[in-house]
Amino acid sequence: MPFGAVPNRPAETPRLNSRPFEGWLGQMADNTRENGGRKAAARTGAFELKSRRFSLLGLVLHSADMAEIAADWAERAGAGGFEHEPVVIDLTAVPRASAAAVAAGQAPLALDGPAPVDLRAIVELLRASQLQPVAVAGATPEELALAHELGLADAADEPAAERTAPIEAVREVIVERIVEKPAAPVPTMIIDKPLRSGQRIYAKGGDLVVLALVNHGAEVIADGSVHVYAPLRGKAIAGARGDITARIYAHSLEAELLSIAGIYRTAENPLPAEVAGKPAQVLLDGEKLLMQPLSF
Amino acid sequence: MTKIVVVTSGKGGVGKTTTSASFATGLAMRGLKTCVIDFDVGLRNLDLIMGVERRVVYDLINVVNDEIKLTQALIKDKQLDKLYILAASQTRDKDALKQEGVERVLEELKAMEFDYIVCDSPAGIETGALMAMHYADEALVVTNPEVSSVRDSDRILGMLSSKTKRAIEGGEPIKEHLLITRYNPNRVEGGQMLSLDDIHDILRTPLIGVIPESESVLQASNQGTPAIHLAETDVAEAYKDVVARFLGEDKPMRFTEAVKPSWFKRVFGGK
Repeated sequence: MPFGAVPNRPAETPRLNSRPFEGWLGQMADNTRENGGRKAAARTGAFELKSRRFSLLGLVLHSADMAEIAADWAERAGAGGFEHEPVVIDLTAVPRASAAAVAAGQAPLALDGPAPVDLRAIVELLRASQLQPVAVAGATPEELALAHELGLADAADEPAAERTAPIEAVREVIVERIVEKPAAPVPTMIIDKPLRSGQRIYAKGGDLVVLALVNHGAEVIADGSVHVYAPLRGKAIAGARGDITARIYAHSLEAELLSIAGIYRTAENPLPAEVAGKPAQVLLDGEKLLMQPLSF
Repeated sequence: MTKIVVVTSGKGGVGKTTTSASFATGLAMRGLKTCVIDFDVGLRNLDLIMGVERRVVYDLINVVNDEIKLTQALIKDKQLDKLYILAASQTRDKDALKQEGVERVLEELKAMEFDYIVCDSPAGIETGALMAMHYADEALVVTNPEVSSVRDSDRILGMLSSKTKRAIEGGEPIKEHLLITRYNPNRVEGGQMLSLDDIHDILRTPLIGVIPESESVLQASNQGTPAIHLAETDVAEAYKDVVARFLGEDKPMRFTEAVKPSWFKRVFGGK
């Protein structure tokens, strides 16, 4: 025992408040090794369907009267100068006779109820000015049916500038299922070089396998389990993001700190004789760290 | 092909400069053109141990800053015509070491067809130590048989494999050699020092040699003579063995495994 006797204290597994671990996690990203099979999965196909946010023009209409719109458009935007930018036709501000107003017996604003906006005319108006309508927002069911017929997507109730879908996404419904597939499992990080004092490895989201020494002062951290097929003398932290099923496996358990999901134990309490310097696993049993010898 | 060897340890006072002086001298004694550079800017010692302190006019920092030519700063050893010394500045600090400048100095030395460049690293893990190890091809990690020195060497071994040019560019890793100095078998027996097995178990780095604890090292330093010149001392013999093993690169493992016990017997009369 080259490092001197450790004071003999009754074994205890104090609960660590999560702060220090968060602190470690904060710095870990920089220390994560690029090698060891953690590279993101290579190109999986000819395309990707991703959730994206684009900033678009929104044509916010304040009137349902096509003649009025066309006149105003000609006056203020008729000069053109657009370059086929995508536009969302936003109908949320169009004055409509509310159901409550009708029920209260008040005269509706328009003679024949809520006037549907003439989307076909609007689309033509925009296309004539080199704009590309892609979706409608705030449309009534009637208007929406027309919009779909015209190849426009529904930008739902959110403001047009916040959310819209490209036309392709709407048409290729089958493809959309790819997005709903569960994320690919995080590959295990494998380290085959000795980890020496001051070095730290963090396997984000998965398991960490170390095939060489983990010396005093080195830290091996994983969101999953930690496996060390060599002497484990440094700090081992499994379940760094709170996974209580994570475990620590070592070919020779000599760790100066063992932690699973925030429950930790330092070398101040000597490891039990049946696991110290021997193949062992560490797992969490409620609030207690269990250390069990492994026999091969 | 010039080889750059860094002599490093992390901890201070373990014998880096003594080793740099004797190792470089030992290479030059074998007819290899060798330059030893003191990277301990601000605390220069190598020139004292090499006995050239009165001949230092220009230093490494002058060359790094391009103020003078490299040949003006190189001090030729009086005994060995293949040995040159490049002293550190006493008036500057380690921040004066600029990476481009250091690289240029090493390139110029390569162009002068030196066989070996020995870089004597300062203690610590800061700029000076990082500069000394950055361009190394091989490393002598000097360790004393005690826990803190071994721990610091472990840290340095980690940095050699992650912070150096070879590590960053992903080339062949630096060849690491462990040199244990101030080893006293009697004190190991008495449990006051770590044994070779203890140290090997912690560091797992190939052992290139063991330098026994000896008063002749102090004597050599005070005289300004590299310890390897002290005829018929254990220390000189041990350093000659280190140089021999270092040059026997084809079978380094055979040397460390087989030579160590027999060397032990020779020096200590068998145990």
